Amino acid sequence: MAVRRKPTRAEIRRQRMEELINFPLDWLEERSGLIGGVRYFLFRNVPSDINWMQTLGSAALTAFLVQAITGVILAMYYVPSAATDPHTGKPVAWESIVNISDNLFMGWLVRGMHRWGASVFIILMFLHMGRVFLFGAYKYPRELNWIIGVLILVMGMMEGFTGYLLPWDQTAYWATVVGINLNGTAPFLGPWLAQFLRGGQEISGETLTRFYSLHMLLIPGAIIALIGLHLYLVIRLGVTSPPWSKEAAGMEPDEEEPARLRPGLTRPVPRPAGASAMQAEPGGRE
Amino acid sequence: MEPEQPSPDTEQESLHEEAHLPPPTFWPIGFAIGIVVVLVGLVINPELISSIGAVIAIVFGFLWARDATAELRGQTLVVEPERRQLKEAGEGMTAPPADQQGVALPRVDPATVTRSRFLEGATLGLGGVIGGLITVPVAGFALLPSFLDQKQHKVDLGPLSNFPLSQWFVTTFVVDPAEGEVSRRTAFIRNNGNVADPKTKKQVPSFTIISNHCAHLGCPVQANGPTGAILGQKTIHERTANGPVTLDPVVPAGYGCPCHGGQYDTEGNRTAGPPVRALDRYSFEIDKGRLILLSTYSVSHVVGTGAQAKIYRYKEAGPGEHVDGPEQWFYPLQPPHH
Amino acid sequence: MAAVPKEKPSRVDEARAEFARYKADVKARGKPFYPYAMFHDTIMSVFVVTVIVLLAAIWKWSSWGPGHDPTHKGLLGPTVDPPADPGTTSFVPRPDWYFYFLFYLLRIFKWPESVFLGTVGVPTIALVLLIMLPFLDRRRARRPSARPVAMVAAVLTIISMGVLTWKGATAQEALASEVVQQVPHLIQVEHLPPAAQPGVKLFATAGCTACHTYAGVGGSNLGAPDLTAIGTRHLGIATQIKHLQNPSSVTPGSPMPSFASLGPQRLHQLAVFLEASKGTH
Repeated sequence: MAVRRKPTRAEIRRQRMEELINFPLDWLEERSGLIGGVRYFLFRNVPSDINWMQTLGSAALTAFLVQAITGVILAMYYVPSAATDPHTGKPVAWESIVNISDNLFMGWLVRGMHRWGASVFIILMFLHMGRVFLFGAYKYPRELNWIIGVLILVMGMMEGFTGYLLPWDQTAYWATVVGINLNGTAPFLGPWLAQFLRGGQEISGETLTRFYSLHMLLIPGAIIALIGLHLYLVIRLGVTSPPWSKEAAGMEPDEEEPARLRPGLTRPVPRPAGASAMQAEPGGRE
Repeated sequence: MEPEQPSPDTEQESLHEEAHLPPPTFWPIGFAIGIVVVLVGLVINPELISSIGAVIAIVFGFLWARDATAELRGQTLVVEPERRQLKEAGEGMTAPPADQQGVALPRVDPATVTRSRFLEGATLGLGGVIGGLITVPVAGFALLPSFLDQKQHKVDLGPLSNFPLSQWFVTTFVVDPAEGEVSRRTAFIRNNGNVADPKTKKQVPSFTIISNHCAHLGCPVQANGPTGAILGQKTIHERTANGPVTLDPVVPAGYGCPCHGGQYDTEGNRTAGPPVRALDRYSFEIDKGRLILLSTYSVSHVVGTGAQAKIYRYKEAGPGEHVDGPEQWFYPLQPPHH
Repeated sequence: MAAVPKEKPSRVDEARAEFARYKADVKARGKPFYPYAMFHDTIMSVFVVTVIVLLAAIWKWSSWGPGHDPTHKGLLGPTVDPPADPGTTSFVPRPDWYFYFLFYLLRIFKWPESVFLGTVGVPTIALVLLIMLPFLDRRRARRPSARPVAMVAAVLTIISMGVLTWKGATAQEALASEVVQQVPHLIQVEHLPPAAQPGVKLFATAGCTACHTYAGVGGSNLGAPDLTAIGTRHLGIATQIKHLQNPSSVTPGSPMPSFASLGPQRLHQLAVFLEASKGTH
């Protein structure tokens, strides 16, 4: 322990600043307990050998957030009506999209980000799923997390399907006709499901408003809830080491069969002992 | 009187409380209501309502002040501090065992209906009723409108003179002018001439009117043949009660679908590809010399051509749904159609 | 491995023990999420957002055709499509690209009895398998070299989905509305004389290209021959007309439908065109 000397002015300033920051945080923590949760999330330990492929999950989350934010902004200007504008003879929904792209400041950027963000989101989800498969990270105890992830993927594709109709142009209309009729071919309940999705016997303005409700409210709500569960499980169960890593967390001490070792090595790589070998800072609560 | 003070933490506080704090009363509420009535009356009706409000405020204010100054005038008041009664273990409740942290379940003698069980049942029952009262109409609203009120539309396509004999037309029309462009549809129409009605033996016009929705998954079917531009024939534009009707002459050798390769012949029979049946047709009537389209129906196949065609008709089914053969049993019940 | 006399622990117990070791390892040797892992995550997120913004910008600026016509197809397609027309007869519907593999599956299942396999059967089975994966593969091995079945299945799945997606992207039907735009190109590459030009327009719109290929245009179906150089066979106008009127009378067993409905004048124009098609040189 160092001998206490008189603190310098810089140290006093720093100490005051820390107190200033800590005061509201402590206030919140005492009344809600949330700050402790955030601290645990930020300072928990993760295996030291994690790899760049493991950033795909948070990248997919970022893409979803981009979609959510651009979607909320677009919703302020988009009109979900298939009625024909009497002045121009064009559908109102289609016109609102053209208005966003052409007339509004940076409208083309927000619309473009939303449209291409959807593709990026789906690609990242598939890549993330492939990475999890490769790492065998769907096995015990992460089976539930895998199932939730597959549900998020399906919901994401449904979100893309419902959003595709909203510009109400030719590609949108006909892709939706086929998509709904696809559902209609399911035995027994198919025709009923298709008629419910369409809001009637044929695609009409009802279909557009219905898909808008699904795209804006129901499916994003489901995705957000599932992502919340997914993240909770990731934090609780931890992130795996790459399975080929020599220092994988959880590896058995004598897991390696002699045949797997490179020629020349007569003993498996010894596991480093505790804090002395690596810079182990005090990790999160376990 | 309802106690309004918080329960005292320390003995000292309680002594202080009983000595100095005013007793709990309702009068301030009445006073506040009086003030509000005065202010509202200023907007609505100053003479009548504000006066009433003033009277209320004065009366309650006087009563409040009288209570607040009670001890100054020498009246002693006893105020009961709020104390919570420790409930004795009620009937049926058992203390949780020391090593268990969970909630102890009440062990109830099943022979008697105790008050707690009645309350449980009543809560669940009433909760169910309230839930049902809210959910059922809402669910009905969400689900039923897609299936009810499916209107039949009649489409006026113009006079019969627009349809010369044995000429195919790619006809585009608007089914419901109120809905607008979203109800625009296309049909392939040919006037087959007159044919003897089997029942009345009179000569009635015969038309082949084929819908252009593919029987596989609903894509827009195209005519395999040159249209008016290449044939050198003019497109007829007609304006009827249903809106604009376009008649584009075409000489088709058949019909084809651009999505997954379905092919049909000129009677709508499937000749190649994944469509599960023939193209749907429109039923029609002739009203005052004008061709009127009625509702669509599904067709499994057609034998023969033109006016002599034998059409195997079924109630309208969605694309991709078989209407005959063993697969029809996959779709036993169709949602309500017009 | 020498036989061990003691009882082997169950798979679940081993998995639990491994998880306990994992937690101890992470506690002892792990690094705090912030700043180490979060730094990587942040870089990747910045990259993702940059890519999205770039795509949006390229979409807008590359579709800025001459005269700022938004229907001009730029690098990433047009920014504006014509408004929905439920009565169209010239549009080729396609879903969004991430559904192309399902779309092409529908083109594979061409027999009417098998349609529901392509629409709901195969996708549902695939989804069920995906969800049930942790219960189908309960082995503890996680290294790729120790999971041959999983790796082979993954590679097959990725390759087949890739192929289906690509084939879905390149699928064409060659119906009248698409082929008629190729007519000037066909006239040029086949050096068709003026007498043959009415016939090439008929050929493009009569649906011949649904089954025949011609100078790189059209689809090959039901064994229909390529017609690029049909004129070099010198079949003669009369035979051509007879064939068009009644194909099985010239080629027995031919599945080609009759085109007699076009009328004798148009059949003659088509025959002239076919006889003038001597190939692209």
